[in-house]
Order: sequence, then C-alpha cells, then structure tokens
Amino acid sequence: MDITVKESGDVKIVVFEGNLDTNTAPAAEDEINGLIDGGTLKLLVNFEKLDYISSAGLRVLLATAKKLKPSSGDLKICCLNATVQEVFDISGFASILSVSSTEEEALGSF
Amino acid sequence: MIRELSRFRLAWDGLILLLIIVSCILVPYQFAFCQDSALNGFQVIYLIDLFFLIDIAFNCFTSFRQHGVEVLDRRVCTKRYSRKMMGIDLLASLPLDLLAWVLIGNGQVLGGSLVLALRLLRLLRIVRFFVILRRWEAFSWSNPGFLRVVKFLISILILMHWLACAWFFTAFAVAFPADSWAVRAGIENAGPIAQYIRSLYWTITTMTTVGYGDITPARPTEYVFASMIMLMGASIYAFIIGSVASLLSSIQAAKNTHWERIDSVTEFLRQRHVPADINSKVRNYYEYVWDHSRGVDKNDLLNDLPGPLRLEILLHLAKKILDTVPLFKYCSPVLRNELLISLESRTYSPDSYIVREGESGKAIYFITEGSVEITSEEGEKSWGTMSEGDYFGYMSVVLGERRTASLKTLGYCDLLILKVDDFDRIKSEFPEFNDVLKRVSGERTQQLSELIMEGIIL
Repeated sequence: MDITVKESGDVKIVVFEGNLDTNTAPAAEDEINGLIDGGTLKLLVNFEKLDYISSAGLRVLLATAKKLKPSSGDLKICCLNATVQEVFDISGFASILSVSSTEEEALGSF
Repeated sequence: MIRELSRFRLAWDGLILLLIIVSCILVPYQFAFCQDSALNGFQVIYLIDLFFLIDIAFNCFTSFRQHGVEVLDRRVCTKRYSRKMMGIDLLASLPLDLLAWVLIGNGQVLGGSLVLALRLLRLLRIVRFFVILRRWEAFSWSNPGFLRVVKFLISILILMHWLACAWFFTAFAVAFPADSWAVRAGIENAGPIAQYIRSLYWTITTMTTVGYGDITPARPTEYVFASMIMLMGASIYAFIIGSVASLLSSIQAAKNTHWERIDSVTEFLRQRHVPADINSKVRNYYEYVWDHSRGVDKNDLLNDLPGPLRLEILLHLAKKILDTVPLFKYCSPVLRNELLISLESRTYSPDSYIVREGESGKAIYFITEGSVEITSEEGEKSWGTMSEGDYFGYMSVVLGERRTASLKTLGYCDLLILKVDDFDRIKSEFPEFNDVLKRVSGERTQQLSELIMEGIIL
C-alpha cells in the first residue's frame, strides 16, 4: 500500500492507495501518528485510490479520531469507492465519522 | 355466531354448569323426600328449564373445532348439534312433567309421583356438564389438572346425592313397612332434611367401606340396593384413591422432576467438593429457571414444535425486541421470521460473563430480560450498562474482530442469541439484509457510537 501526504492550508491530506488491512494497517497508523505527533490537528484521509478496507483499517481510523479528540482536532474522510462505502455503511462508521464524497467538500467542512 | 372459546360462551357455560349442579341436587331430592307436594319448588325448576331452552338455542349457534379448525358455518354447527346432543338436551329441558300433569294429572309410578318421576329426566343434564368441562379444557388459562379434580369431585358428590335419594326411596316407595331401614332408624316421620342427612350418612359410610352397621338393610330390595352400592362403593373408593393420587402426582410431576434434578446436581457438586457458594449459585439458577419457565427448556420445546407454531411462539416471546431493536424493525416479515427462527434462547445467572474481552465475535445477543455491565476483563473499568431491548455483539460479528470488552450480567438475564453462522447464512440468502444492516448501523444508539469511539468492540 502506498501512502502519500499533501497539505491544503492547515489540513494534512493522507492519500491511501491499495488495501488497508491487517498487513498494512500498522504502517498507516505509524504515518498518521507521526503527523499528529508533529502537531497536525486537522486530518483528511482520502480513500479515492483505496481498493479495500478491513476491520484493522477501521480501527486505525477510530484510534486516530480518538487521539485527535482531546486536542480539539478533527478527522475527515472522503472519496470512498463502492466497496469501502459498503464496509462503512454496514459497520456504522459512516455515521460515526465525518465522510464526504469529494476532497473539496471535506476540506470545506473543517 | 357464538365463538366456542369466547368470553360470552365461557360466562354462559359457567352459569349453565351451576344450574346443572342445582338441577342434579334439587330434582332427585324432591322425588325422594318431598313427594307430598308434586309441584313443590316448580318455580325454580321451570326457571332453570327456561335457561336450558335458551342454552339449546345458543348451542345451535356455537362454533366447534374440527381437525383443529374452528367451524363457523351456522348450518353446519346446528346440524352437528342436532345430530349429537340436541335430543338429550331437549329431553332434559322440556317440561314434560308439566305436560303430564295438565293432560293426565298426577299419577303414580313405582310408588312415587309420576310428575316428579318425569322431572328426573332433567338428570340427563349431567351429560352437558362433561361437555362444558371438555370445552374448558381447550382454554389456555385453564389448568387441566385442576379441572380434572373439579370434575371428579363434583361427579362423586352428585353420585352420592343420587344414591342417598334412591336409598331413601326404597323405603318410601313401599310406604315405610315396619322392617324397612327408615322405620328401624326411626326417621319415617322426620322432616325431609333429617331423612336426607341419615340417607346420605348411610350412603357415605357404605361407599367408603366404613359401614358402622347402625343402619342396615332388612328387606330384599334393600339388600339388593345395598349390595349394589357396596360393589359400586368398593370400585369407586379404589378409583377415588387412585385418581386423587394420580391427579396430585401429575399436578406436581413437573415440579418434582425439576427438584429431583436440582438435588442430583447439587449432590454431584457436593461429592466433587465444589465450593458451597458455587453450589448455591447453581441451585439459585435452577430456581430462577423454574420460576420463569416451570422447568420447560424453551429451546427443546421450540424444537419439538412444527415451524409455523414455533414462529408464533417466538413472535410472542420476542415481542419486545421486535418492536424496539432496529435490526428486526426494518426487516420484511419473511426476513424477520427467518431471523426469529434462528434465535436461540439462553438464561445467564448473576455475575456471569456472557462474552469476554479477547473472544472472537461468534454471536449477536439481544437482551429480553435483565441487564448487563460492559466491563474490562479484570473488572476495573466499566463503560455503562445495557438492559432489556438492547443488543450487543454486532460489531465484532460484522468486522470479524475480537471483542475489546467483556459483558457481565448484573442479575438473572434472559437473552436471545443469533449465531454468526446463521447471521452469515441469512446475509447470503436475503440480499435485503445488507440494506437493513446499513440502516441499523446508521441509527446506532448514542451509547453504542460512544463505545465504538472509545475503541470498544462488542
């Protein structure tokens, strides 16, 4: 899985490519933790190029949201493909986390 | 049409039952003890007749069950009644005695009044007594054991009354000769109540095989009658003892079996030196199970029943969760029924772990009674409680994750369980189940959302 980080103002945009599963979740978590530890409060995760997410991947998102909460930070997610959207819907993550259909929309919601 | 098991029919049958008992007491008593006035008590008798004639009309309009199906067609019901019971009911209810009195006056038959003898036809009403009790046995509220006891006791008391009347009549019919039992007992000129008490006393002592010997037969008819009563008494006495013992044991059978089981389990635990507090917990659990289900294993019972009946019972048992739990609320009836059929019922005793932290998600649990605490494995942290109508286990099943908290019962807790295999099967068989799950997840309670944000997966 490839992880790319870009910036838009004070928002860090993390783009995942490939599968976010048990094998790749630790690397993703390390990457995000690095950003939070570096002082990032506004984080946007772009799943446009993500093919599949497992429960381990969802757990990374949960841990991130939890970590940002005490420091009034915010986690937004955008651009889910049909497969990932299905996982979000069934697990209820779509209603727990803030999910937008486009990156622009997500950026505007911070 | 009057429904066979309607409240009206029940109340009416209750009244008729009472009137049958009154008829069965009054009519033979009048015949044996009040012969001097042929129309004595006629007002009551004819008033009761009126009720029975109305009952015949009602019976024509009362539904009945055939092959388990209630027949509501009036013509079929009337035809069936007229073929089976109407003849007896008419014979027992029409005032033939009054007709005879008007047409031919009060003649004599067997040494007694013809009018009063014709009244004895009303004793045929006893047949209806058994018909009504048989109908009552179909009521869900009625205890069959209790009804059997009532039927048995009333039958025996009525039989004793009839025999007491018949015993006195053996002396009365021949105008109290000097060697008759009534004259030797000195009651030939006593009042009817005193005469009745002595007759009944002799009947009871003879039927119960006590036989004090203070009243004895002397005339051939009395010997024959007494011999018949002795034979009948011995059989009935044996029947009474056997039936009462059987009834009492059948009423207690379920409880006895349950307590025998408790005793053997606690004895087993004691022999294995299991600590007394655990032994006591096991005993308390069985007591709870008895209080709640009278020793019937719900799963065994449901598995015994055919699918449609099982479903009807489950729809009732799970009524609360069907109305409150979104998973069931949004399902089509077919999907809901499939989910219900797959549910397994289980009872947990207080302070028991239903699921433990670290376990993989094997089932979804719906609380139907009691409450549980969400806690860490060691119990040092608590994330609140869940109670009746709440459910848990969904996230670990959907995500295939291990649970990150434990659930412990706070008291006795009844749950319905949907195993993961059934969950997966239904998901693959019913494409709409996915949409339901999405909708359910979207409407997750605040408590469940907060738990997920805390990283708690149940």
